[in-house]
Amino acid sequence: MEGKREENKVKFNVRHGQLAGMAGLSVICLFFFSYLPMFGLILAVKDGNKSLNILQAMLQSEWTLQNFVDLVVDERFWSVLWNTVGLNLLSLLFNFPAPLIFALLINEVRSKHVRKAVQTVANFPHFISWVIFGGIVLALTDMTTGVINPVLEAFGLSSPENPIDLNMPQYFWAKMIIVTVIKNIGWGSIIYTAAIAGISPEIYDAAAIDGAGRWTRAVRITIPMIAPTITIFLLLNISRILGNSFEQFYVFQNSANLSKSEVLATYIYSTGFTYRNYSTAAAMSFFEGVISVALLSMGNFISNRLTGRGLF
Amino acid sequence: MKREKLHKTTSFSISGAIIIFVLVLIALITLYPFIYTLAGSFNDGTDFEKGGVWLFPRVFTLDNYNAVFSDYRLWIGLGNTVLRTVIGTAAALIVTSCVAYAMSQRELPCKRFFRVYNVITMFFSGGIVPFFLVVNILGLYDNFLVYILPSLYSVYNMIVISTFFRGIGQGVREAAILDGASEMRIWWSVFMPMSTPVLATVGLWIAVMHWNSYLPTLLYTSKDESMWTLQYYLMRIIKDAALPEGDAVNENVTAQTISFAAMVIAMIPIVCVYPFLQKHFAKGAALGSLKE
Repeated sequence: MEGKREENKVKFNVRHGQLAGMAGLSVICLFFFSYLPMFGLILAVKDGNKSLNILQAMLQSEWTLQNFVDLVVDERFWSVLWNTVGLNLLSLLFNFPAPLIFALLINEVRSKHVRKAVQTVANFPHFISWVIFGGIVLALTDMTTGVINPVLEAFGLSSPENPIDLNMPQYFWAKMIIVTVIKNIGWGSIIYTAAIAGISPEIYDAAAIDGAGRWTRAVRITIPMIAPTITIFLLLNISRILGNSFEQFYVFQNSANLSKSEVLATYIYSTGFTYRNYSTAAAMSFFEGVISVALLSMGNFISNRLTGRGLF
Repeated sequence: MKREKLHKTTSFSISGAIIIFVLVLIALITLYPFIYTLAGSFNDGTDFEKGGVWLFPRVFTLDNYNAVFSDYRLWIGLGNTVLRTVIGTAAALIVTSCVAYAMSQRELPCKRFFRVYNVITMFFSGGIVPFFLVVNILGLYDNFLVYILPSLYSVYNMIVISTFFRGIGQGVREAAILDGASEMRIWWSVFMPMSTPVLATVGLWIAVMHWNSYLPTLLYTSKDESMWTLQYYLMRIIKDAALPEGDAVNENVTAQTISFAAMVIAMIPIVCVYPFLQKHFAKGAALGSLKE
């Protein structure tokens, strides 16, 4: 530090102090609400389950790996893990490409008004809370008053005498994937739209002169040009393979669909808050964090090797 | 000119028509759930149960809205939510932009430390149980401040704002320094007024986040009615399928149609700020993407 400062011939003065103080605000905020909770993960290697004073349990109980052993032998945990990974892999398959395809389609529309109108409508659900969106979807999929069953009837997949109960567990995954696509297709696409807007029109003109059609231009120009953006979002998505939006799943979850709807995020909640097994819940959070960081680093390494670019 | 001509040859093709068709279909699918909700909220509850209310109310009534408005818990939730949205957004904007200003200056000492310290938190978090512990230690449990303090600062928003600040240029700051302004003064009186577009964007993001959040009520309060937020109230109505408590509740309303009315009420502010969000967010998101 010292050497560097001398090198730059800049003396530490009042201004530096002021700037450091301003940046220091982030140090304080993050210390309390990010770093202290990370420190609190020590609970995962302590015996704090069902304790009335968690802090005391964390500081005074014996070090133990029992919480992780409990998880490994817990059959429920494995089924939750299967739900989480399965759902997120499917999500990667559908939710990740959907906004990209949407952006590519929007890019093909020449009329500014159509473009704007479609984007305005498609972006809207992103700003609506999961409580409201979930409430609407639950109503839409209702057997008698909903709209989905009549639509399925039109395709011959359901009948008024024998309607499909879309709240059954076996439909839960499909419902989640579709709902997430609808809620995020617009908002997820703007980052790609912004990247596409940065591509020089001359490249397209040159390609058009060479006789390249829509398809060729999209595949040969647009996608390669926005590949860095796609890579970054793919990496972030892969690293979240154990993460789900708690706000989303909690709304849709009920005792009937629990076998398919319990994911790590909600299982941590019920373990920690309903059953007050604080240490077991902390062990799961720790597990999730480690996997996420490991996947991110691995994906980043592979991406750096293959394409020469990554997150860091 | 040239570009115009080149595209004209392709603009009436079949593929163009298919693309428009697909996009309009996507737009209709995203829009429809809200039309359905609006129709249901104005429909008689028992009539709605028969099914078939898909686009317009069949038996029009305002009873659902009357029932929701007569529920005192709506007003508590609304009050708390408005309060946390206004205070939370203002406070978060001030703190976040203050840090963003410092981080955007080349002269900031120990810049590497600040950057690493910030970025680590984007990739690793303690999870809800350790956070619960911290909330308890700080005395925030069942305290209104639990809605404000944890969201005072966000690294992502800081990056977006500081990217904008960096674009303002050194000349402005140097001129202010010559006038003898302190760094705090430069940030507040020079940079802030010059940055209304990005502050509006980030402010709207924060406000929407506050308006839509229900998690802190669920996790970090004893769920006492005085601590309820609007979204938590909605969640209780939807998940418990329970009728609101109020004297305007009669046999013409059901839990379903009442929840529609409550959802519409909670969406109104979002609909009102949406044009501004729409106008600014693409710019803001593009700024954020430049950070790497």
